[in-house]
Amino acid sequence: MSQITADATAMRDREAARRRRRTAIRRYTGHPGFMIGAVIIALMAIIAIGAPWIAPNSPLATDLANTLAPPSWQFPLGTDQFGRCVLSRLIYGAQISLQVGFWVVLISLTFGTLIGALAGFIGGWLERIIVALIDIMLAFPGFLLALALVAAQGSSLTSVITAVAIAYTPRVATVMRSVVLTIRPRPFIEASHAIGLSSLRILIRHVIPNALPPVIVVATVSAATAILAEAGLSFLGLGVQPPTATWGSVIAEGQAIITTRPLISLSAGICIAIAVIGLNLLGDGLRDTLDPQMRRQTGGKML
Amino acid sequence: MNTPVSLSTDGDALVRVDNLRKVFGGKRWMFGKAGPAVSAVDGVSFSVDRGETFGVVGETGSGKSTLGRLLLRLLNPTDGRVMFDGRDITHLSQSELRRLRGDMQMVFQDPYGSLDPRMKVGAIVAEPMQVHGADRSQIVRRTGEILEQVGLPPATADRYPHEFSGGQRQRIGIARAMALNPKLLILDEPVSALDVSIQAQILNLLRKIQRETGVTYIFIAHDLAVVRHISERIAVMYLGGIVEMAPRQKLYAAPRHPYTASLLSAVPIPDLKAERHRKRIALHGEIGSATALPSGCRFHPRCFKARLKASADGVATAKIADDVVVPRQCVESDPQLQADAEDHFVACHFPLEPGEAADHGITTTSND
Repeated sequence: MSQITADATAMRDREAARRRRRTAIRRYTGHPGFMIGAVIIALMAIIAIGAPWIAPNSPLATDLANTLAPPSWQFPLGTDQFGRCVLSRLIYGAQISLQVGFWVVLISLTFGTLIGALAGFIGGWLERIIVALIDIMLAFPGFLLALALVAAQGSSLTSVITAVAIAYTPRVATVMRSVVLTIRPRPFIEASHAIGLSSLRILIRHVIPNALPPVIVVATVSAATAILAEAGLSFLGLGVQPPTATWGSVIAEGQAIITTRPLISLSAGICIAIAVIGLNLLGDGLRDTLDPQMRRQTGGKML
Repeated sequence: MNTPVSLSTDGDALVRVDNLRKVFGGKRWMFGKAGPAVSAVDGVSFSVDRGETFGVVGETGSGKSTLGRLLLRLLNPTDGRVMFDGRDITHLSQSELRRLRGDMQMVFQDPYGSLDPRMKVGAIVAEPMQVHGADRSQIVRRTGEILEQVGLPPATADRYPHEFSGGQRQRIGIARAMALNPKLLILDEPVSALDVSIQAQILNLLRKIQRETGVTYIFIAHDLAVVRHISERIAVMYLGGIVEMAPRQKLYAAPRHPYTASLLSAVPIPDLKAERHRKRIALHGEIGSATALPSGCRFHPRCFKARLKASADGVATAKIADDVVVPRQCVESDPQLQADAEDHFVACHFPLEPGEAADHGITTTSND
């Protein structure tokens, strides 16, 4: 008899666990902003990775007989002044943009989180020094800083990524520090001291996980600004060097003929816009869904 | 009568505190002016026996929560000594302290804030065991066991704190604190954030746990009615000092310090007639400031007894405000905590006589 009830309880528990997992998934799928953003970014990732198979032509192949061709079956978005397929250049350009977005977020999130968490959690002199350094870096416009760094380092994908990451790390660090400052006085931190956790473990187990959601949102949005920054650098000719296709360089090359062939610059601009919108939607969606206390209010209700 | 505080215990004290003091602030930072120094705990001494429940009562600002944190060394005392389990823990290093945490735990006042919102209940309860190096199967078994002990179903382990009510969360907090089978549990107003009906459940749970494990409690509260339910001995704090300390029956039946008497007169009586006819002692003013402790007896600016006493014959008096006169002694010397009857300590120059409390409207129901 008791065996049967025990089994029934176990089954009920498993059922409850399954239900919670389902609601967890629905929380994300039910959020339209998150879903649209995720789909856009996923599509872009697929296009970027599958570029060699998807692109109708080589992005570098010039066809001097076909310069500035209007859209056709062979060149769906026409060709530029060197006779290169614009669509193929945009498809390959997605690789550069997404790489820049991904690496900049990874680098600035890692260092920004660490620096901000240390400053906020340890406090004292260390905090004063870090905050002063961050303030100095923030006083520079991010793009200008990246521009200066690339100009000093020489143009390559790596130097673009490093420069943009260095420009955006202080932003992440400020957000992280301010969030950590709100978490440090909360009772569960004192409770963790009371059970004998060391400060380092409290930082890793309790402070950072609780501080991450807003930081992840900032990071997602900064992926969008990183893509913009890369496009801007390429537009100015300081980014990844031609003939490599990037969205920024497509705009720059189309600029000279924008009155006769507006489609070239415009289509690259639309690509950038879609990527940025996708990342912003994703960031908003994460903001709404990552916080367990927000979970009850959001999810599904927005449609 | 006039012996200094020597706290009578039969050598089996789990906690012994000598002249503990904590001053916040008052330090200079670089060139700035020194901030005001706040003496939160001002020379407190007592001891707690194994298996006992020791209540600490005081209003907001009396230093009772600071005292709890000093005992656990969550704060470092400015002066004085804390002995735990026969060992002086006042100067232990952080790593030695961490090892000791298994034996001394705390339940916090705020059941909403004291649990990490991003951790499942199972992980919250298991965390102290992980910290103190229990192995996996042991942790799983003990987690189930302790959840059952505090009256939560095992499925609780797989859910987040925000899915629970205040009372259930406080149970989780108790489970976490008891997971390592500590010798001492400091309860920092564990029920003051809860509904009255839930308070009783939690108090009963605490009593049940004490019966089963023999853990020692230090129960901090601002509510004499709650402390009465659970404590065997009670210390009353006022502005960082203990003004009276006695076994429960004695304290409630015959309070000797005017402050205790006034606190007791504020406890409602569950009898309409008695409640309507009894007198209350209304204290003068607010609790004083710990940045500027009154001279002499810390309670004299608010004391009703001092005002009465000052009008008696042959008492040297001092004027402390326009029309307030109190005995000179109260202003000039700080009364020490002294044993005046067996186990009954009071820090007052003119303690209330037995029976005098009743004249001031304190009705003691003898239901314990």
